[in-house]
Amino acid sequence: MTESKVVDLLAVFPDLEPAANAIEYLREIGVHDDCMNVISGIPVTEAMLGRPAQWTNVPRIAMGGALLGFGAGFFLAYITPYVYPYPIQVSTQAFIPGPPTVVVLFELTMLGMLLSTFLGVFLDSFFPNYRPMKYVTEVSNGKIAVLVECPHGEEKKLTEALKKMGAESVQPAEAQHL
Amino acid sequence: MIRPEEIKMSAEETGKWGMVIDQDICTGCQACVAACAMENNISFVGEVDAGYGRSMHWIRIERFWEGAYPEVKMTPNQPMLCQQCGHATCEPVCPAFATVHSQAEQLNLQVYNRCVGTRYCANNCPYQVRAFNWRDYQRPEPLSNQLNPDVTVRRMGVMEKCTFCIQRIHKAQDKAKSEGREVVDGEFTTACAQACPANAIVFGRVDDPESLVSQVARAHGHGVKHLEELGTLPNVTYFKGG
Amino acid sequence: MSDKKQHAAQSHEEHLREKHLMLDPLPRGKMNDMVMESMLEKPTWKFWVIFGFLAFVVVYFLFYKWGVLIAKGQGEAGVMRPDYWGIFLVNTVFWIGISHAGTFISAILRVFRAEFRRPFTRAAELMTTFGLVQAGFSIFMHMGRVWLAYWLMPYPNQRLLWPNLHSPLTWDLLAITTYLLSSTMYLFLPLIPDVAMARDRSTGWRKNLYKVLSLGFRGTEGEWTHLRNAMNIFAWAIIPVMFSVHTIVSWDFAAATRPGWSSTIFGPYFIVGALHSGMGAAAVVLAVIRSTMKNMKYFVRGEHFDAIGKLMLIISMSWAYFFFNDYMVQWYGGDKWTQQLLHFHEAGPMGWMWFAMLICNVAIPWAILWNPKWRATPWAITIVGLVINVGMWFERYIIIPISVTINRMPFTWRLYEPGIEVPMGIGTVALFILLYMAASKLIPLIPVWEVQEGQMAHELKKFGRETVVSVSELE
Repeated sequence: MTESKVVDLLAVFPDLEPAANAIEYLREIGVHDDCMNVISGIPVTEAMLGRPAQWTNVPRIAMGGALLGFGAGFFLAYITPYVYPYPIQVSTQAFIPGPPTVVVLFELTMLGMLLSTFLGVFLDSFFPNYRPMKYVTEVSNGKIAVLVECPHGEEKKLTEALKKMGAESVQPAEAQHL
Repeated sequence: MIRPEEIKMSAEETGKWGMVIDQDICTGCQACVAACAMENNISFVGEVDAGYGRSMHWIRIERFWEGAYPEVKMTPNQPMLCQQCGHATCEPVCPAFATVHSQAEQLNLQVYNRCVGTRYCANNCPYQVRAFNWRDYQRPEPLSNQLNPDVTVRRMGVMEKCTFCIQRIHKAQDKAKSEGREVVDGEFTTACAQACPANAIVFGRVDDPESLVSQVARAHGHGVKHLEELGTLPNVTYFKGG
Repeated sequence: MSDKKQHAAQSHEEHLREKHLMLDPLPRGKMNDMVMESMLEKPTWKFWVIFGFLAFVVVYFLFYKWGVLIAKGQGEAGVMRPDYWGIFLVNTVFWIGISHAGTFISAILRVFRAEFRRPFTRAAELMTTFGLVQAGFSIFMHMGRVWLAYWLMPYPNQRLLWPNLHSPLTWDLLAITTYLLSSTMYLFLPLIPDVAMARDRSTGWRKNLYKVLSLGFRGTEGEWTHLRNAMNIFAWAIIPVMFSVHTIVSWDFAAATRPGWSSTIFGPYFIVGALHSGMGAAAVVLAVIRSTMKNMKYFVRGEHFDAIGKLMLIISMSWAYFFFNDYMVQWYGGDKWTQQLLHFHEAGPMGWMWFAMLICNVAIPWAILWNPKWRATPWAITIVGLVINVGMWFERYIIIPISVTINRMPFTWRLYEPGIEVPMGIGTVALFILLYMAASKLIPLIPVWEVQEGQMAHELKKFGRETVVSVSELE
């Protein structure tokens, strides 16, 4: 293992405005967007902070799940009646009934879609994850934390600058048990 | 994988069984009810449950009267049993396929050990002829010797109904097959028809114009199918006021 | 401007802030503390007495009696020919109805951005999940051989026999399973940030519980984006699922060949009926939370009862519309069995229930809910909510055991007398309340982050001389 060349700094801001300013400043001094992350207690949109849009796979996973669900519905509605060696007739209804097929396809498509949406959140966010992580509990009190990867040797300069931008505290981030 | 319409049945397997009931000569003696209970191992529910509408009969004699006492006019007795509908409303609603249509006998089958007891079929039967095992009813000692070995004994939580004595149909078919012949009309009949002292119930092949049941139907002229307007295509024909 | 006018304007603003939670922001930390306090507050002896009593009711009336029912058979209940379906199915429909309010509040109102929903989406979603548990119990109580219930599930088996997809009950199974799973997931997703909040400020076993439940949520941009997307998908997709569930429940009846049941309007009629009882129950639950839990008077205010009251009034009107529509066509049709049935509803031995249904579902709600002051009064709307639930239970009772009394075979007509269903039904009510009481002590009932998000989006704005409330879209 090589020694990591960067140190993470965790700056806690009391509000949205200074956090957004700090992010802009960081970008100006050459910190790439990929080297920053924002931790907040409410869903702050990327646009509010002037950050690039986040990539999420959830809608795609949901669509995939919907297709799988449709497939399961198709299997149930069109295949399973043939599995029994002797065809079962009920009343004079068609062997594969039309309208009930729609019901089955609908329910299983929705079930597949919603289950995979849920699963998508887990996959995309790496949940559940009980390893130590960089976090400050003030975040859930409404503070906004900016996590910056800072090149070795520049911690002091950056800390000063972030404090000037309105950060309440700037510390080297340490992974801790949540 | 075979579709229902692709099934080819041998001659002895096919057949459309039916029944005619002449209400004018029915005396209401209930012999059919007793015979049916004995033939088909039907439980006796006891006084309390019977009084609360839980009597288990596959055939019942409905008795009606018109007018108010003392000007009462009795109408003919009406034996009511499973009509073995061609388009049965009970069949599609069972989630477990416990009641299905038989291709061979053109009857409604009830698969007792498949039944989970949702009671949807009974609710959806316009004739209200299905009987549910509300409890495990006791058979006091000598009565258990009377059980018919050809018929399944049903337990609690299971729906049951008239089968047109399907065990007798199969017995006759098996016998005829082993003797290399067709089933002869009148070779066997259902328990209710057998027990009827007035011969008000006649059972047989309705697709055979020479069978007794077809001849009786022709002799009477217009018969009535109950609740025909629902499109259930019953296999039981009633004659009244002839 | 004169002093007097200025003063009037100020007090108007103050009044608006007092009225609207969204305009009365508190620091997030303060709100967190309030919610945590209400959850961690040591239960009083009254809480434990009620809890113990309900636990006894659940154990004895629900589980012990269920054991008796399984051992002795459905004969213990009041069902017989022709009333093959009794109170168990009434309760099933009733509880599924209750569960519809949660989805209505947290999905439809979220999609339409009705801001008043924010503090009580979770309270409503809990009703959905816990109500569906009771519905599931009720439907299994009804089965004659419940130990074979797994035969209804589609699974590969030795017999090669799969469930009958022609049967409305099979659709029901699929729809209710879908709804139960998706509403539970939809309850859980917005809960993650709140559980993370609780994790940050608790110790001991609670810390471990919340740590597990929060799945390691920190609130990074990525996590929020995934969560927001998922909640958006859920809010849209769960609406048709909810509609399908109660429509299919209505098809259990409408697809049958029975006088009074064969109705094409049953689908929407049942959905509106479900929302009717659900909104009533939501009002009751909110009033109880507000009066029994600490700090809830800040989060749940008159404006919320007012908003729910308006919805209740609209839903009551829609219910009346569907009821009359169904009644009119049945009445006009002139089918002799239907005529008999309608006569039996109104003038039969249970006619009192038919009239009570109309009074509870229409007359009382209309008489009270038109008045903004009355409907903003928690105790008044609690009474209306309870009355509506009684009325809607009556409606289901009339549709099921009373309507099946009349069929096309007059020889079999007989009135239903409930037996073991009554204590077992009470058992489901007790279990619902019990689960709710336990949940109120275990998870944050108020979605704090949603409230804060809403408070950020609201402001007072001056148009000319009038100060009005405005809200901006944050996304």
